[in-house]
Amino acid sequence: MDKILEVKNLKISFRTQNGTLKAVRNISFDLERGKTLAIVGESGSGKSVTSKAILGILAGNSITEGGEILFDGMDLLKIPEDEMCRIRGDRISMIFQDPLSALNPVVRIGRQITEAMLLKNRGTRRAGRRDFNDTLALLKKNMIDAKAAPESKITEMCKTFDNFCIEAIKLENNYDLALGAAEGMAKDITDFVFMAENNQKQDVKEELAEILKELKELKDPLLTHKYDARLAKYPPIISRYRAGYREGKKGTVAPIARDFLDTLNELGGVLKEIIDETRVNFFRIGYFKMKNPNEDLTKYDIAELNEKALEFLNRDFMNEFIGYAAKGIEYSAANALAAKKDVLPKLRTAREFYLGAFTRSEAEAKAKEIAVEVEKSIDRLEVNKDSVAYTFKTGLLSEINKYFNAQKKNPKEEARFAKQSAKREKLVAKGKTVDWQVIPKNVYDLDELKQDIVSVFDRMIENYETRIAEAANVDYHARAVAMIDFFRDKASQVVYKVTKRMAKEKAIGLMEEVGIPEPRTRFRQYPFEFSGGMRQRIVIAIALAADPEILICDEPTTALDVTIQAQILELINNLKEERKLSVIFITHDLGVVANMADDIAVMYAGKIIEYGTADDIFYEPRHPYTWALLSSMPDLDTKEKLDAIPGTPPNMIYPPKGDAFADRNKYALKIDFEMEPPQFPVSETHWAATWLLHPDAPKIDPPKAIVDRIERMKKAGGETA
Amino acid sequence: MNNVNNNETLLRVEHLCQYFKMGDSELKAVDDVSFEIKRGEVFGLVGESGCGKTTTGRTIIKVYDATSGSVYFKGQRICAGTRSYKDAIKAARKELSSTTDSARRAELEKVISENSEEIKKAKFDHNHSDEEYAKHLADETAHEYDEKIATAGSDAAKVAELEREKREQIRVAKKSKLITQIQMIFQDPIASLNPRMTVREIIAEGLIINGIRDKEYIDQKVYEILELVGLVREHAGRYPHEFSGGQRQRIGIARAVIMNPDLLIADEPISALDVSIQAQVINLLNELRDRLGLTILFIAHDLSVVKYFSDRIGVMYFGKMVELASSDELFAHPLHPYTRSLLSAIPLPDPHAEKRRTRITYNSIAAHDYSVLKPSMREILPGHFVYCNDPEEERYKKELGL
Repeated sequence: MDKILEVKNLKISFRTQNGTLKAVRNISFDLERGKTLAIVGESGSGKSVTSKAILGILAGNSITEGGEILFDGMDLLKIPEDEMCRIRGDRISMIFQDPLSALNPVVRIGRQITEAMLLKNRGTRRAGRRDFNDTLALLKKNMIDAKAAPESKITEMCKTFDNFCIEAIKLENNYDLALGAAEGMAKDITDFVFMAENNQKQDVKEELAEILKELKELKDPLLTHKYDARLAKYPPIISRYRAGYREGKKGTVAPIARDFLDTLNELGGVLKEIIDETRVNFFRIGYFKMKNPNEDLTKYDIAELNEKALEFLNRDFMNEFIGYAAKGIEYSAANALAAKKDVLPKLRTAREFYLGAFTRSEAEAKAKEIAVEVEKSIDRLEVNKDSVAYTFKTGLLSEINKYFNAQKKNPKEEARFAKQSAKREKLVAKGKTVDWQVIPKNVYDLDELKQDIVSVFDRMIENYETRIAEAANVDYHARAVAMIDFFRDKASQVVYKVTKRMAKEKAIGLMEEVGIPEPRTRFRQYPFEFSGGMRQRIVIAIALAADPEILICDEPTTALDVTIQAQILELINNLKEERKLSVIFITHDLGVVANMADDIAVMYAGKIIEYGTADDIFYEPRHPYTWALLSSMPDLDTKEKLDAIPGTPPNMIYPPKGDAFADRNKYALKIDFEMEPPQFPVSETHWAATWLLHPDAPKIDPPKAIVDRIERMKKAGGETA
Repeated sequence: MNNVNNNETLLRVEHLCQYFKMGDSELKAVDDVSFEIKRGEVFGLVGESGCGKTTTGRTIIKVYDATSGSVYFKGQRICAGTRSYKDAIKAARKELSSTTDSARRAELEKVISENSEEIKKAKFDHNHSDEEYAKHLADETAHEYDEKIATAGSDAAKVAELEREKREQIRVAKKSKLITQIQMIFQDPIASLNPRMTVREIIAEGLIINGIRDKEYIDQKVYEILELVGLVREHAGRYPHEFSGGQRQRIGIARAVIMNPDLLIADEPISALDVSIQAQVINLLNELRDRLGLTILFIAHDLSVVKYFSDRIGVMYFGKMVELASSDELFAHPLHPYTRSLLSAIPLPDPHAEKRRTRITYNSIAAHDYSVLKPSMREILPGHFVYCNDPEEERYKKELGL
């Protein structure tokens, strides 16, 4: 299966006044593309902490003790903040629990939705320009060093390439704007005619103004030159009708003239023709246009022009350029390969060094030294970046830092603990009642931390070994072509400017998608003018604004009532299907996840105690805590007394020995108080961490209420299936 | 759950309206709601947020002054609004100005005077019901002690003792209010407890306000109640922030129960709690109900819990009561389309059933045609009321096979 996110051995704790609170204790799970993983547990079980760790928004007093969150070849726990910025909100988005506190009360809804789009766009444009320039400069240098052609020629070609790339994409952008206006107008017209024919109430003047505005925008020489004459007659007709239109009396709908609707339909037909036009390939035409600036492009047929331009581009420029680029890339790769072969034994010796004893300055000096070597051996011209090598330095330094910090802190912690315990003992010996507890020791395992340092090297060595082995069969021509595509992407990032108007249109589209009626009016309102359900929809729209790959829902429906909850859940489910989203759904209510989740992880006291598919958890629960959760909620047939879970979750400053749930568990075995249960597999997809699954454990059936309910559900399923 | 055997009506709500001013217009939060609660039963009030269920609860306990309609508690009117009478007078005056027919005029004059009388009565009942009750109670107490003193007769010391006790009890009786027999549990256990008061102060506050000065008695009572709601004596000295959500809600319940109320208004007492804690609180409320014979008005939006907990359920939609029936009946034969839509939205812990579940959407404009025949609350089956008009009533009856 295609895993989009992997969490491995994640450990997070919080520094508090009374000691270190272990919030997440060694959890691992995978999120598959297009699936929903539900994390279920009581408050304080660490489910929200996990999701916040994924987004890198943990509170300031948190300590990430270990583990990895792998996403797209990156470890989200280790990457620097500016890289995290590019992922947060953009590729992984979050819907927060309380819509009221997640929205800014003094900013209009519209601005809150478009804000992210506009900011993001500005950032990408800047970054795109930087990437484009840097990579092109690097490519140029390599081409010159490889002696692919005389230096002057290469310089000139690179300049040409830069110019026509950006110019071409600019042309394309204008074209797209006009096309977008045509599409939007076509939709507006269909809506308008439909509403008018069915005598539905609508703001006629505003709708027509919108259409007029779009007509004005519909101007692009390559798209509309054939239609300009036909389009010219519409604006006066529409504006005349708009000026003459009188609204009906209060509550009534004034009918709209039939011949006017026919005119609109006619306009719709023209728009459809425009939309169906063959698309111009601007990348090709940009060069053609640059070389023949005075040529009137509109005289050609588009398909013909596309072909012609391609031929011209290849003949005149591209074939040659790709050839040189391939040489440059090959040269760079060969250099990097030699450096890799060179650095590999050094990495091995360094690994040995870190297995032995070392001081902080030694370790850091060594790390910096080896990091320089590694950085030299990175092939900077690779389009798919080698993320292991790129994050090597920061990863290594942070591990070393963690190791020495722990070394420094451990004796202090030991001393504090000894002092406090002695004081307490003294007081107890005197016969006084002591109402405070000794804050437990929080010492790090130095060997484990050292192993973490070494594992950075292990990953690096393995990575380079495979890369060296693969180096023989690389098609450099293909890589050059990929490089050109890369430039094209970057160029379109540079030129693609989201205007406020475009952002608004996109935002209104999103609002419609999440089911907000009258999005145009709603766009200008403030959060307090929305009901709870609507507010939550706004939050969802904001989360979707950047088109993320992963959506984290942190109790999105807890503050809502049943009908709205059902609507929101349906909405998230539909969006998931439409956009191929992967969802992490966090909740304390098992009932909510039954129709959402593909997989369910039940968390208790910072650990996953049962994991399985939805069917596994609901029809074959194995952990007593899951039983308790299921039986503590009444369903429509429950008559008997509810099985409440006695007591409260343990204080995680003092994590209990053995199974954390043992104290509240009426099925607890003796061993539960002494040893933590490992994960016992139930089936391929299902495991639970309870001693009850051990072969030597006494056979205990789940509580009667649950058995009955499952029986009933199965029966009901059989009847209707 | 429990069978309610006696037929004593504890609370009767008649045509209750609660409007709020919203700029120039009015928001009809509760609009002509009527229901009865029998002693010992749990009456559930459900509906989506903003439908007026909390407002109903708060109007009953007189947090808001009712706009119109009356609330009778133990047969005495404790809460009354005047809007409907004022409207009647206004209409009569308007007609009066245009009619010349003397018989009709006399009739209208009579309507006006009757309604003004009603307004006076309503105002008196609304403002002075507690005083009336206290007066009555004081008289009764005095009478009781007079009898005791009479039987004690010659024993001077005992008589003196009784006299002292009588004075004390009459003082307490004069301070007591009828409204304290209705108590409320609030939704948010964090916001409803004063963070600067200890648990003892929070729980005892009601007693102190009601004029009880005996510290020992108060402490004793607080400990008793703490144990009753599943906390321990040691908790009395702590502050609310030291407790978990479930425990805080227990404190809220203790504060309500210590007044020895007859009616408890539980306003979404479990919505803010974790699932496992919700079960604890529901079990606690159930236990208290058995032990103390409480009557509960249970306001919630979680239908499975309401079904589990309530004897009868009223469904509210935008300020109107749209359906009222016993809980089994309501779930077996939901008649009003809004009730059906609500029931279809309940999530179940059953993935297969969930995948098959289709949600019914309710659109009040599309579902009913009230342009000609106006709807009202009608009894379709004994005890099963639906808000409908004539054709709908017939249709519902047909559906039930009547």
